[in-house]
Amino acid sequence: MDKFSFVGKSLPRKDAFIKATGRARYAADQDFAGLLYAAAVRCPKPRIKILSISAAKAEKVPGYVTLVTYKDVKGPNKWPLVSSDYPFLPETEARFQGETIALVVAETRKAAVAAARLVEIKYKELPFLDDPLRALEKNAVKLHGDDNVFAKFVIKKGNPDQAIRDAHVVVEEEFSTNYQVHAYLETQGVTAVPEPDGGLTVYSSTQCPFYVLDAVAAAADLGYHKVKVIQTVTGGGFGGKEDVPALVASHASVCALKVGRPVRLIYDRKEDFNSMSKRHPSWSRVAYAADRDGKITACVVKYVLDGGAYATLSPIVLWRGAVHAAGPYRIENIRIEAYAAATNKVPCGAFRGFGQPQICFAQESLVDELAHKLEMDPVRLRLKNILRPGDKTATGQIIGASCGLEKLLETVKKRSNWDRRKAKGLRIKDKGEIARGLGVSVAYYGVGLGAKGRYLDRAGAYVNIYKDATVGVNVGNTEMGQGALTVLSQICAETLNAPYENIKLEEVDTSKVSDSGPTVASRTTLMSGNAIIEAAAPMRDNIFKTAFELLLAKGADGSGPMRAAEGLFSIGEVSVTFAETVKECWNRRMKMGEQGWYVAPRTSYDMGDGQGDAYVTYSYSADVADVEVDLKTGVTKVLKIYAAYDAGRIINPGLAEGQAQGGLLQGMSWALYENLAYKNGIMLNPNFTDYVLATTADKPEYDITFIEKPYAGGPYKAKGIGEVPLIGVAPAVGNAIMNASGARVRTVPLLPEKVWNGLNGKKS
Amino acid sequence: MPHATVVKPANLKALWKLLPSISPKRKYLAGGTDLVTGANTGLNSAETWVDISDLKELRGIKETAAAVIIGAGVKISELEGSRLVGRWLPVLHAAIPHFASPSLRNMATIGGNAANASPCSDGACALCAEKAWVWLELKGKRRKLPLAALFKGPKKTALKKDELIIAFEIPKWKHEGAYLKLGPRSYFGISKVSVAAALEMDGGSVKTASIALASVAPVPLLARKTADYLAGRILNEENARTAAALVKAEVSPITDVRSEAAYRREMAGVLLARALGRIGRRGENL
Repeated sequence: MDKFSFVGKSLPRKDAFIKATGRARYAADQDFAGLLYAAAVRCPKPRIKILSISAAKAEKVPGYVTLVTYKDVKGPNKWPLVSSDYPFLPETEARFQGETIALVVAETRKAAVAAARLVEIKYKELPFLDDPLRALEKNAVKLHGDDNVFAKFVIKKGNPDQAIRDAHVVVEEEFSTNYQVHAYLETQGVTAVPEPDGGLTVYSSTQCPFYVLDAVAAAADLGYHKVKVIQTVTGGGFGGKEDVPALVASHASVCALKVGRPVRLIYDRKEDFNSMSKRHPSWSRVAYAADRDGKITACVVKYVLDGGAYATLSPIVLWRGAVHAAGPYRIENIRIEAYAAATNKVPCGAFRGFGQPQICFAQESLVDELAHKLEMDPVRLRLKNILRPGDKTATGQIIGASCGLEKLLETVKKRSNWDRRKAKGLRIKDKGEIARGLGVSVAYYGVGLGAKGRYLDRAGAYVNIYKDATVGVNVGNTEMGQGALTVLSQICAETLNAPYENIKLEEVDTSKVSDSGPTVASRTTLMSGNAIIEAAAPMRDNIFKTAFELLLAKGADGSGPMRAAEGLFSIGEVSVTFAETVKECWNRRMKMGEQGWYVAPRTSYDMGDGQGDAYVTYSYSADVADVEVDLKTGVTKVLKIYAAYDAGRIINPGLAEGQAQGGLLQGMSWALYENLAYKNGIMLNPNFTDYVLATTADKPEYDITFIEKPYAGGPYKAKGIGEVPLIGVAPAVGNAIMNASGARVRTVPLLPEKVWNGLNGKKS
Repeated sequence: MPHATVVKPANLKALWKLLPSISPKRKYLAGGTDLVTGANTGLNSAETWVDISDLKELRGIKETAAAVIIGAGVKISELEGSRLVGRWLPVLHAAIPHFASPSLRNMATIGGNAANASPCSDGACALCAEKAWVWLELKGKRRKLPLAALFKGPKKTALKKDELIIAFEIPKWKHEGAYLKLGPRSYFGISKVSVAAALEMDGGSVKTASIALASVAPVPLLARKTADYLAGRILNEENARTAAALVKAEVSPITDVRSEAAYRREMAGVLLARALGRIGRRGENL
């Protein structure tokens, strides 16, 4: 094992102090002279033809400044994203309840909100769609193209139909999952400030400042050199601040350019619920076939995502889900068909796991059903079929050496006492009213953007060593609470042998570093980490060489090895500090600022048959959930989750543990409680009273293990940890409910009502 | 934050004097936990909030020979620590941990909880089972109603314009109590169904019973038929089962974003059987 000074240690978070003491400046804390406030006028119905927009009544509100509509958008009225079907502001048709139709700018937020309520939209209601399966039918109302399909992917391998015919056992079931709301503490928010040269500086709560740059430059019709996007301290993202902050920022920017003054736009919780992205609801039909020994011989999947009113990120969310849809198994015969359908509901996009948790729930539930039908232990069935180094995935990709899945599964099996618990049978207490059970799942997660996002999969860094040996680092990936500032500082400190306290990661400023793609896909450690290492490498050479010469000058014996650790260089007893060395480098006029650029290795995926390398590497998880089910009420309590992860080398164990706990709880919350409801295209519960999240009182006990299978291409052999902890939770819980109660629930959330129906012999 | 004018009279007399001079679009502000959140989501548009938190006539928990008197302005967290509540009002005492969250219990008042007239109110449901009466006052004139008669529908009460809840009068009667709530998660949630059971026991038999339920009717519901059935009967499993079957016929739940009607109806029975079982077991241990 390599010895490190900073990597692999639970160093304190760089942003802990400002966040814990309330000093951090979030989007709503940015203040500017002459600041005005914008508020959105929103679509009241699922689909309307806009006949007219009038501010006649709004104008009378004291403090009213102006109304902003599509006519004020300077560039083409198309938000540039994966496919550009979403107008910055609608012209003739609005497509979901809550869509921004216009904005009011006023002297105070109160006036802006009051005036926005008085803006009159004359409209005609249009026929709408609220069901994605209905949207795919031939005679459905057409919202997008001639088939309502935002994207379709196919993955084909072998002959699944033949394999199913020849199988000893076949299982096939339908599954569905509901929305998940990101529930970040900080709602969407931005301030746009006009600059004297006609340009704009935009202060945005975002995961992806370069997406904001794309959108603002397009809406304002400005050169990129005249738009500067600065990420403000971001109060949570989870994917919800991937694409949509760009839309919010474009609105504020159009307002600011129109009035020539800074404009702040902060969403309240209801409008954030109504209009910002969500985890896609899903429907799927999955089939597995197996031979007599439990070898899985085929997997057939049809997977449909409810994309909502505009495509936004649906195509790439769908692609990731499709690639992983057969599960982390070695299966020779595969057919996966995946569709993202248009409906008149909120556009869905990125959410931790990105299209995988939905299909993972389906296929991992069904693998348990397969085990049941084979009369085989579900862990044993998985151990027979999981991916190991050298095996081929559904897309024919050969799994590399960094794959610890077998060990993960063995670990959770052992730690949960799986065999003993299973041998003892069910534990029932309280006069037979409470039953306890275990459920297992495995998952894998392609790290980074993969083949579908390959053109975006690069990242830059600028590392600047000041004369006093402190270090400023600019990267293009953001901190959103996940710990990027800390982990990247550790990587920089390790590479330069600089004291950790000396490193300062700057907030992302799009004018300081080249477009580094989005901060998503568990890619930041890998991409920005490697970019920092590349930037630091030439300076590291100079520093190490200079340190060696300083040591010789101080009388060290040059034949011995130089040790570099903890910010100190030494040979034997003689040592020099990082600061002394840097001072000497500056005296020698060495270059102490460098750019780094990291490009993900090529992927070979073919979009036609879905074969080839989809991602550069994968992280893995295995979960066992230990639950109690109340057999009279159907209420589930998750007592404990045993989880094991392979995310390569762990840079900061404390933060990794935090990511794991957070992912588990967010996954459990989605699995059991979160239930966003629509009726006739209107969202019924856009608030935290009726959109129920897990609280700390629901928190299970965690038993988390990291198995570090080094990934040679990663910074200090790390992969990514952000998303994989969430993915396998729902099926592990669902399988445990089945084990405890005999009720199989195939729709998420696994509400007590559904378990109760299941206990009473009804399907749900 | 919403924007409203706040006026704060010092006592009841000052309140009645003040009212004619202020906007008729007014609401009483006690703990604010319903009023402020409602205003934030645009549910009410009162221009003036009459802050009654200083009215000393609304404060305190007292006892007389025959009753416990709880001022309408008493915070839920005050009930939590009250010796009188602990001694005389076992159902209310058992309900408090289910009431919202500790921070909301520090703000919310029992009078406001009743005035809000939510069918899911844990406080109102428990007080109904305790056979509480409510004292109302309008311009110096007082009247008294059984608490259950205050509720006319979701968010609807028998209160006249400006009429104020002054206090709750709960008769002292020796009884056992239980409060069981089925919410959307372990704690801090609005009930799908709650059951409040108050039983006057005579050895292993029920002498009189008072059963109330939340979230299964347009108002906090007194299950009178179920209570009548239990009176005079031995508290055993068979009678509890019959009571559970009866209560399922008394409730009229709906399907909404919080739960389903059929489930709620069934759970009313499950929770009642459990509540009765809990009281029964307590008796065995005595």
